[in-house]
Amino acid sequence: MQGGSRVRRWLILALLWGVALLFLIPFLWMLSSSLKPNYQIFEVPPRWIPNPPRWENYVEALTILPFPLYIRNTAIITLLTIAGHLLSCTVIAYAFARLRAPGRDFLFVVMLATMMLPYPVTMVPLYVLFNRLGWINTFLPLVVPAYLGIPFYIFLMRQFFLTIPRDFEDAARIDGANTLQIIGRIMLPMAMPALATVTIFTFQATWNDFLAPLIYLQRPELYTVTLGLQFFRSTYTTNWAYLMAASLVTTLPVIVVFFAAQRYFIEGITLTGVKG
Amino acid sequence: MSNARAVGGRRHSRNRLARREALTFYLLISPWLVGLLLFVLGPIVASLGFSFTRWDMLTPPVPAGLRNYVRMVDDRLFWQSLSVTVRYTLMYVPSELVGGLLLALLMNQVSAKGIRAIRTIYFMPSVLSGVAFVVVWMWLFHPEAGLINATLARVGISGPRWLVDPNTALTALWIMSLWGLGRTAVIYLAGLRGIPKELYEAAAMDGAGTWHSFRSVTLPMLTPAIFFNLVLSIISTFQSFTSAFVATNGGPLDSTLFYVLYLYRKAFQEFQMGYASALAWVLFLIILVLTLLVVRSGQWWVYYEGEER
Amino acid sequence: MPKRLSFALLLILALLVVAGCSAQEGGFVQTVVVTATPMPLPEGAKTVLRVGTGDSGEGLTPHFKIIEMFEAENPDIQVQLEPVGSGDYYARILTQIAAGDPPDLLQIGDDAVPMFVDRGAFVPLDDFITGESYPLDTSIYLPGVMEPGKWQGVQYLLPKDFSPMAIYYNKRLFDEAGVAYPAEGWTWDDLLATAQALTKTDASGNVVQWGIQLPGPWTTGFEYWVAAAGGSLISEDGTSFVGYMDSPEVQNAVQFYADLYNKHKVAPPPADMNAFGGGNSEFDNGTAAMRLFGRWPQSGMKENPNIDLGVAPLPAGADRAGVLFWGGFGISSLSDNPEAAWRFLRFYTGAEGAEIWKDWALPTVKSVAEESGLSTDPIEGVWLNELNHLAPRAYVFTPYWGQTADPALRRVLESAILDPNANVAELLATAAQEAQAALEDVQQ
Repeated sequence: MQGGSRVRRWLILALLWGVALLFLIPFLWMLSSSLKPNYQIFEVPPRWIPNPPRWENYVEALTILPFPLYIRNTAIITLLTIAGHLLSCTVIAYAFARLRAPGRDFLFVVMLATMMLPYPVTMVPLYVLFNRLGWINTFLPLVVPAYLGIPFYIFLMRQFFLTIPRDFEDAARIDGANTLQIIGRIMLPMAMPALATVTIFTFQATWNDFLAPLIYLQRPELYTVTLGLQFFRSTYTTNWAYLMAASLVTTLPVIVVFFAAQRYFIEGITLTGVKG
Repeated sequence: MSNARAVGGRRHSRNRLARREALTFYLLISPWLVGLLLFVLGPIVASLGFSFTRWDMLTPPVPAGLRNYVRMVDDRLFWQSLSVTVRYTLMYVPSELVGGLLLALLMNQVSAKGIRAIRTIYFMPSVLSGVAFVVVWMWLFHPEAGLINATLARVGISGPRWLVDPNTALTALWIMSLWGLGRTAVIYLAGLRGIPKELYEAAAMDGAGTWHSFRSVTLPMLTPAIFFNLVLSIISTFQSFTSAFVATNGGPLDSTLFYVLYLYRKAFQEFQMGYASALAWVLFLIILVLTLLVVRSGQWWVYYEGEER
Repeated sequence: MPKRLSFALLLILALLVVAGCSAQEGGFVQTVVVTATPMPLPEGAKTVLRVGTGDSGEGLTPHFKIIEMFEAENPDIQVQLEPVGSGDYYARILTQIAAGDPPDLLQIGDDAVPMFVDRGAFVPLDDFITGESYPLDTSIYLPGVMEPGKWQGVQYLLPKDFSPMAIYYNKRLFDEAGVAYPAEGWTWDDLLATAQALTKTDASGNVVQWGIQLPGPWTTGFEYWVAAAGGSLISEDGTSFVGYMDSPEVQNAVQFYADLYNKHKVAPPPADMNAFGGGNSEFDNGTAAMRLFGRWPQSGMKENPNIDLGVAPLPAGADRAGVLFWGGFGISSLSDNPEAAWRFLRFYTGAEGAEIWKDWALPTVKSVAEESGLSTDPIEGVWLNELNHLAPRAYVFTPYWGQTADPALRRVLESAILDPNANVAELLATAAQEAQAALEDVQQ
């Protein structure tokens, strides 16, 4: 019996790492290419261990362009956006999940519908709008909408709120709590996994956003990481080694945040709130 | 008499409560309504307007009535791009739903050693910016130097030419996209973590095995997350763009010409923003109808613990 | 408030503070909110010129150098460069133009010139060129480099840089095979014979070395083959593809090109169909003896130990002909400061600018090319000499090339390269019809 469960545990572990390897291989290749001179990157047959490793690629890729500046810009935009999503989307999502009002379901569909029109055709009118406001070459067009609720995250939070039993709220309401208190004290603590998800997704999406910064940020000193990465590709040539080196380095912050934010998945609803 | 008044009073106060609740609702969503009116509706209406014009973006738009919409009927590439996109959606959406869930179940093996590292590894590909992501796969799919064909060759299989062959290019893009499943899995994982332990304990007490408790507890409790992933997957897969833009530019022989890629090309490479806008609105309608069907069907299969009944 | 939530909020707050502190001088709030479009005006009323370019990475260095030189000489003007890497440049400037807010100076690639100019996006330069205060002597330029900036005889853009096409070859592989280096006067037959002599297979019939690496279904590059076959893709009045794209000359060009892949098997099959994506690497790996392309990757090849680099002129088919790839700058017709823009443009693309460009690309100014010794350089001289054999590309006859015939031609090339049994005449006939229909549709 015990032996059986040990075998089972090992099988699961093998499966976990086997799949992990599949996900890792492309990164290993990126790492390997980032340490090669460009002419070795597409060798046949491919060579995994660069010989000798060209560490200069990292120094050069990160100094040819002012990546520290790009990272700083991206970090400002990302943090402000995360704060915006956590503030606005939770409250709006609560309303959609719990409160009854005429027109609610219609507005919900409207909200979904705003995600369905491809970006290229709204780009020009949006630019005109932000230009009129004098917001071009500021981070405002990238940040302000985050405080007004983004459908993706509202929908996500709504789904999680809907899985939380009503009993807790009812109890709090009887104790005289108002709606905002209920959201802050009851709903959010129980929705920690969802909040962690919103944080990670926002971090990832904002960090990698390309088209919006491309259009609204025109001065090089305001550029973000993705705009910087694009500079390693020109029409006819690409500096693969630099692109790979810079991609890996600029991806690190997101990976670190994910690694850290996990504790909120692990210690979710089962440890907080419910029993307390 | 007094009885009737009491009933009337209760009804009255219930109405007042309902009105208060509605008011709170609109108060709470007011930021979104403001954003909708300020930043979202204007551009959407403008693009609808453009779809009835000819517009090269260099000179003012010229009214064109329904011409752009009529033109689509005879536009071979419109139909081609629609067919590519529908086929891709049919491949990708189911694989995202099932694959993402399987991955989430793996990520949920809390007791396994190194689980935090493993979760991070699963999620890592979703973090790479689009261009780097696609470029790595172009190398993996390289017919001679690529790892996939090199591995196949080792077991005696001569691999296809992947992105260069019109018969396999779309499949290659699909395989590429599976690498990003970690993102979907995270949503499932958050859902899995949100299932109260008590439910499993209760199921175990009823003598349910692993499979049975998965069917009777996990799956129903996950339906809100599945519903979310399904709706979002439909909306975003119909708008797939980056992988084809970077890896194939729609080729070979238009076999990976995603709808939005075609639309982008019309707008910014062929100076036909009017036509591109019309294309966008047709796509909008297609996605809207599909989404409404899914949303409607939701009441039959999505289970909300906190729903009023 | 539950601990975990407050912890999360605290964390975010802390991160915000950190980001705020790391934002030097300008300060956090200022970077987010108060960066207005024009740069702050330090002394008096400087004219701010915005310059849009699709150049990127190291390619931006010459821009910044020239701007610095210009600002030193012209203290009343401040130049602000707005670069966008590769593919998305046009999306951005079209958005800006449509919104009435484009840079004063815009960089455009050759085949986009007729469309932008025809729709009035650029100011004609002739009056500036012959003007009294800041005239420009156009005879300083190398032959052929002014033409792509013209539309219907009027100059709208001035050349930034250019590249002809030529054939790179690896001397080491030629020496090993005992084959003579290609030289001016060689023909398509010579090309085929050379490529065959340099293609090697191992005992089991696998190709281990290829004769020539070709740029797949890249339509603009393919125009060389059309020109050298003595054909053209469009009538000179810009109205007909039928009778041109499907002519016997173009058929010959497509057939010869496809045969190099499929019949003679001297060219490695394309590794990807997205012309510049990454694609074939045989020449870089030292397993292809020649490569047909523009000058862009040359500096990388010089550093590559697999390659002992030589550059050969294009071989002649029925005609000795070549094609030019070109980028130039013009003044936006929405610019508020066309005079200041002209002063910078004249400097940017004139002799002063060329002196800087020459270290990054081929210079456009004759005296710069000669004095720096490039004209007589065994490699650069070959590129410059190609300027004497230029045939007009198809885009010069119509603003609609890119949206009508180009995609049709691309399909022909893809089909012919992928399918050894493709009927080229049929493919071209269909493509010409399609392009013609698209042209009539667009012109309506």
